Amino acid sequence: MKLMDVTYRFREFWEEFRKEKNGLVGLGILGIAMLAVLAEPILLPFPEAGSRWRDITYWQDNSASAPPAWTNFFTSKKSAVSRVLSNPAVEETGPSERTYAFEYDYRFNGPPNDFILRGRGSGTLPLTVTGFRPDGLSVEVVRYVLSGLSDEPFRLSLGNEGRSNAMEFLKGWERRKNAPQIATMRYGVTDILFSQAQPDFVKGPVPLDGRYRIEVRAGFTDSGAAVDSIELAVVGRVSGVLGTDSMKRDIFSGVVAGMKWALLIGLLTSVISVLVGVFYGITSAYFGSRVDSIMMLVFDYFISLPVLPILIVFSAIYKPSIWTIIAALIVFSWVGPVKTVRSMALQIKEETFIEAARALGSGHRRIIFRHMAPLLIPYSFASMALAVPGAIVYEASVSLLGLGDATIVTWGQILHDALGSGAVLNGLWWWVVPPGLLIAVMGMTFAFLGFAMDKILHPKLKTR
Amino acid sequence: MYKWYALKRILKGVVMYALLIFTFSLLFNTVAENTLKGQIEEQVRQESMRFKNLQAEQLRLKQIERRIQLYHLYRLDRSWTERVVFRALDTLTFKFGKSTIIKTQRGEREVIKIIGEALPRSMLLFTTTIVLEIFFGIWLGLKKAQKPGGPLDKSTSFITMVVYGLPSWWLGMMLIMILVYGVNLFPSGGLHSVPTPGGIRKVLDLLWHMVLPMLTLFLIGFWSLGFVVRNIVLGVLQEDYIMSARARGIPENKVLFGHTMRTSAPPLVTMALLSLLASISGSIIFEGIFSWPGLGNLYWIAIQQNDIPVLLANLAVTTGIYQAGLVFLDLIYGFLDPRIKIGGKA
Repeated sequence: MKLMDVTYRFREFWEEFRKEKNGLVGLGILGIAMLAVLAEPILLPFPEAGSRWRDITYWQDNSASAPPAWTNFFTSKKSAVSRVLSNPAVEETGPSERTYAFEYDYRFNGPPNDFILRGRGSGTLPLTVTGFRPDGLSVEVVRYVLSGLSDEPFRLSLGNEGRSNAMEFLKGWERRKNAPQIATMRYGVTDILFSQAQPDFVKGPVPLDGRYRIEVRAGFTDSGAAVDSIELAVVGRVSGVLGTDSMKRDIFSGVVAGMKWALLIGLLTSVISVLVGVFYGITSAYFGSRVDSIMMLVFDYFISLPVLPILIVFSAIYKPSIWTIIAALIVFSWVGPVKTVRSMALQIKEETFIEAARALGSGHRRIIFRHMAPLLIPYSFASMALAVPGAIVYEASVSLLGLGDATIVTWGQILHDALGSGAVLNGLWWWVVPPGLLIAVMGMTFAFLGFAMDKILHPKLKTR
Repeated sequence: MYKWYALKRILKGVVMYALLIFTFSLLFNTVAENTLKGQIEEQVRQESMRFKNLQAEQLRLKQIERRIQLYHLYRLDRSWTERVVFRALDTLTFKFGKSTIIKTQRGEREVIKIIGEALPRSMLLFTTTIVLEIFFGIWLGLKKAQKPGGPLDKSTSFITMVVYGLPSWWLGMMLIMILVYGVNLFPSGGLHSVPTPGGIRKVLDLLWHMVLPMLTLFLIGFWSLGFVVRNIVLGVLQEDYIMSARARGIPENKVLFGHTMRTSAPPLVTMALLSLLASISGSIIFEGIFSWPGLGNLYWIAIQQNDIPVLLANLAVTTGIYQAGLVFLDLIYGFLDPRIKIGGKA
């Protein structure tokens, strides 16, 4: 087949395909998915989400089980959003003292869970963190000395370290008779810091809106002392596009990082297995008689394998990598198109042009690859598209049981964690819905494509 | 003759099953043997508790002797090829041995009893769903085929595509989240409430527990079944004899259920059962979501507890059911298709 033929046939196909609305929608979604995979480095709020999904330290500055940030639009009680304050205003405030000032605009009802001060430091560094409130009051939250660092990252949780100072601040304006209650209720630092300084705090804190200023004073009396890339992470009550899970991981990052694996599993499995199946069917039909019987026996063997149970037991025992899973899926699913292709090939085999080719002395290989395959492969495109969702769901099912490849993150694995941590029970919908919905949407996309192609390539199914 | 066709098909099914079991035994022999060795060690240790009065050296000898005995009993002293063959034969004769952790409700550790306990529950859930799905699926398919391209056909075909890649277990999770923890309409899972009510209330309780898993399977399978039925029936409806039947003024329902169904029955039944068989093999883990204590749930438990004998036996039984389903399908096809019944080439 020449290139011109290919482009001509493709254009002909495209003319028909353009009329299928569903097919175009499918193509559109697939395009978006492909773009999302390509743009992954830009899209990911946590760039190393894919490779460090199971690394707790990578996620420690997030809040656990936080709903998505946009849920604020639907509630009257707004909660603080997770974000990172960087690029502080630097000022030399003394001979060997520098102040880093962070501005934080607080317009919520629920204060952040915590503030994390982090950066890289060297030598011995005394740090003082002071919060300046919109009402003019100020609180010295933490006084802390970092020591023995040599250009290492440091991390300071104001919520943990500043508890006693915040309590002192609270006692400054709270009624004396409420003191026992304060001791038992154990308010967080942020609860106190972001509330109006008025008596009867224990009856219900009233949030204090406005611009806050958090100053970090670092002393450089030690000769080797240095500090670099200092930033303040606001650990909010709501976080990111899709919230976080109970292990503090950003679900949006996980879902986006899982996209490429879903597409890879689906496309690789379907393309290879359908191609194998098509050539198997053609070969079986072309040679006929004894070869056909033996090949059909092998086919019968493979068709009676229940895919998922075997895949589950295999994964449970051998703990395979993602590549092994894909290979296993191919072994199980190449049988799909064989029957149809074989029956079509049996017809083509009897056509005169095959006879002519044989009379001209063409070999078996030439007839199969040059004369029969080009006629049958277009039909397999629909099967390829329709085989993709199955492969994705199989991998997700294996992962749901906790048997997936632990070095990557897939949608099924996110759902496994969700199920294991009782996300369904506790109604953490932002953890359960997105991965499953994406599996379903991927399935829908390829179903749209497959059904549209099927309709064009098998005109018999056309509605009258 | 149908008799010979049936016999041939059943024999082929049995041979296929034996081949499959042999493959499994080849694939999983090592891990099964390791588990068995662990169990033997456990047994030897327990038995040696009785000989407290023996000296250390004597005890050691006795243990070694017993170990050799047991190895011989379980044929672990044979060559690798023999072991694989014997394992396959054991599986084929349902000698699954004992589980490592999982027990039945009565506390038995025989794997065959554990599976025997789970199997009827899976059967109950899936056969009820299948009957419902076939009934409504065929009805929907016929309605769709009557007016192809009409609003009903278009909308349901669209839904078929939308749910095409929807994992049943995820839909189950969603339904549980909404209908159980959100609205509190159904129980979250299991077979019965605790404590189980008696008499007729027990049956009602069981049905109440079955609604949600059944609904989940139904919501996914129903549409695609309707789509398959539509495509088959549509082909038949274009035949001339249908047009002539309509022209003779035969009521539309009779044309549909009498004339059309008669011809399209063989492929219809095959396609319907095949798609259902595939969906069941696919939704095997779906039981775990609903804690429905059937075979699918047994996979979850066996994996969590790392109970290899149960896992392997479960696989053998599932494969057997799947194989039996395939055979059954061909038998029905042969029965419905007059060409095979009378004695053409199968």
